[in-house]
Amino acid sequence: MNVIETKQLSKSYGSAQIIKAIDLSVKEGELFGFLGRNGAGKSTFINMLTGIIYPSSGTYSLLGVKGPNDQVKKRMGVMPDYSTLYSSLTAMEHLKFLSALSGNSASKVRCKEVLNLVGLQNHGGKKVGKFSFGMKKKLGIAQAIIHDPKIIFLDEPTSGLDPESAITIQKLIQNLQKNGKTIFMTSHNLHEVEKICTQIAIMKDGQIIKIGTMDELRAFYRSKITVKIKHSPIPKAEQLTLYEWLESAGSDLTKEVNSLTITVDDEKKIAEMIRAFNQCKVDIFRVEVEEPSLEDIFLDE
Amino acid sequence: MFVIAKREFINLFKGIKSIITVLFLLIVSYYSAKFSEVISIGIELTASEAEGIHTVGILTLILLLGYLFVASLSHNTVNREMEERTIRFLITRTSRQSIILGKFFGICLFWFVTLIISFLLISIFSQKVDLFIFLQTMSLLIYQIALIILLSVIILKPSLTMFLGIIVGLSFPAVGIWLAFTSNTWVSWIKFITPYYYLFNEDYTFVMNVILAVIMLAIANQIFKRREC
Ligand SMILES: Nc1ncnc2c1ncn2[C@@H]1O[C@H](COP(=O)(O)OP(=O)(O)O)[C@@H](O)[C@H]1O
Ligand SMILES: [Mg+2]
Repeated sequence: MNVIETKQLSKSYGSAQIIKAIDLSVKEGELFGFLGRNGAGKSTFINMLTGIIYPSSGTYSLLGVKGPNDQVKKRMGVMPDYSTLYSSLTAMEHLKFLSALSGNSASKVRCKEVLNLVGLQNHGGKKVGKFSFGMKKKLGIAQAIIHDPKIIFLDEPTSGLDPESAITIQKLIQNLQKNGKTIFMTSHNLHEVEKICTQIAIMKDGQIIKIGTMDELRAFYRSKITVKIKHSPIPKAEQLTLYEWLESAGSDLTKEVNSLTITVDDEKKIAEMIRAFNQCKVDIFRVEVEEPSLEDIFLDE
Repeated sequence: MFVIAKREFINLFKGIKSIITVLFLLIVSYYSAKFSEVISIGIELTASEAEGIHTVGILTLILLLGYLFVASLSHNTVNREMEERTIRFLITRTSRQSIILGKFFGICLFWFVTLIISFLLISIFSQKVDLFIFLQTMSLLIYQIALIILLSVIILKPSLTMFLGIIVGLSFPAVGIWLAFTSNTWVSWIKFITPYYYLFNEDYTFVMNVILAVIMLAIANQIFKRREC
């Protein structure tokens, strides 16, 4: 089942079209990463799905129900961007109040459990007014999961966190997925998305320019596999043929003493290359393959 | 809705401003009731006037300053949450209508409790609770609470609703009472939407105030539903 589905979903402010007719489906159990630079339109998109703002045109449905719908809200957990919590309430009071509002009042034990998950176990009784940015962010995540929702929207859950906390949160998000939740998160951090997301959409200027699993995205962009080969000296007689063959097989060939670097567009070429070396009676000591990271893809576009 | 109402109610009782307001009301109720008999000696009163003498203090206060009290405590009930974006935690969990109604009932309950305590204090001297006057007063407060919620939805700036609260709070009673009695036909129709007009009769016309409150809440709800947060 598609937990999230959008059809031609668009949003304009005045004459500026921020989201341009996005068609998207997210399957149940997916940890979906919405990747894009600042200003790409990630928050605008997620805010439409969560009912914070309304589409200018197009439709969406969550859990099979056309939105916005108040019943679906009960099964939804949301951490919006730039939202302050109530400075006069404690972390514990937040969780109690907000879970009750979602119709699934959390017990004290449950609140403590969730505070523990996000690393706020020692701050349950503290007023949020006294919280640091990172602590507020963690509580933002805690309130999004306290009522055990089926679908969780997280807008930049780790941005601004210290690396250690970011890893805690990433692990938490992965665990939520393992427990059957569908998670839709945005991020401008490639490595994070690369590390944890099962599906990734790359967004630019209000459009999705590419969508797929990390492997699919890589396969698509595999035109840039860099191969570094360390080899025994090439017999004089073979040098010309081998180099000529290599130049036809790949690009950006750089020759060094007993090593070379070349860029190929297909993994299969690597095996062919090794065969070519063997035929020329050249031993290969080491092959280093560097696949493009999402960052390369991302920056290229 | 009840969760929001409870939160709003507790919030009001936690604030220092509300405690001062409530204490002030209670003290006025108590002493005006206590001294009303002393003061009224030598003044000719009709039977019904004499009967209502104990509640004169609190009635005057709420009639003249009720809006100011309600506004000072709750003028920013919606727009503050819009400004600080805490509203996003609410609208992603429950319907916008239940947020408006929850806030309304929470604030109403606060004033209901406050008013009950005032009237109980007064009953120490009058030996009875005047249910009719209590309901009339409550209808006025209900009208004012709905108006404040409406303004808080329409006007996005809390500082503006505060300012408006003071201006309206000070002029409303005077203007409202003038409207109720003026014969100027150009403006006198406005009296039908002011709460005072419905308080002068000793019958149940005060229910009109509750009907007006419902209308204001419906408008507030429609506006809030369309708002992007
Ligand atoms: N309320 C608004 N009015 C006008 N423009 C807006 C509004 N909200 C967002 N935008 C514009 O939409 C674009 C995308 O913003 P946003 O969705 O916040 O991006 P992201 O979350 O990817 O950083 C930005 O150029 C921003 O200026
Ligand atoms: Mg954003």
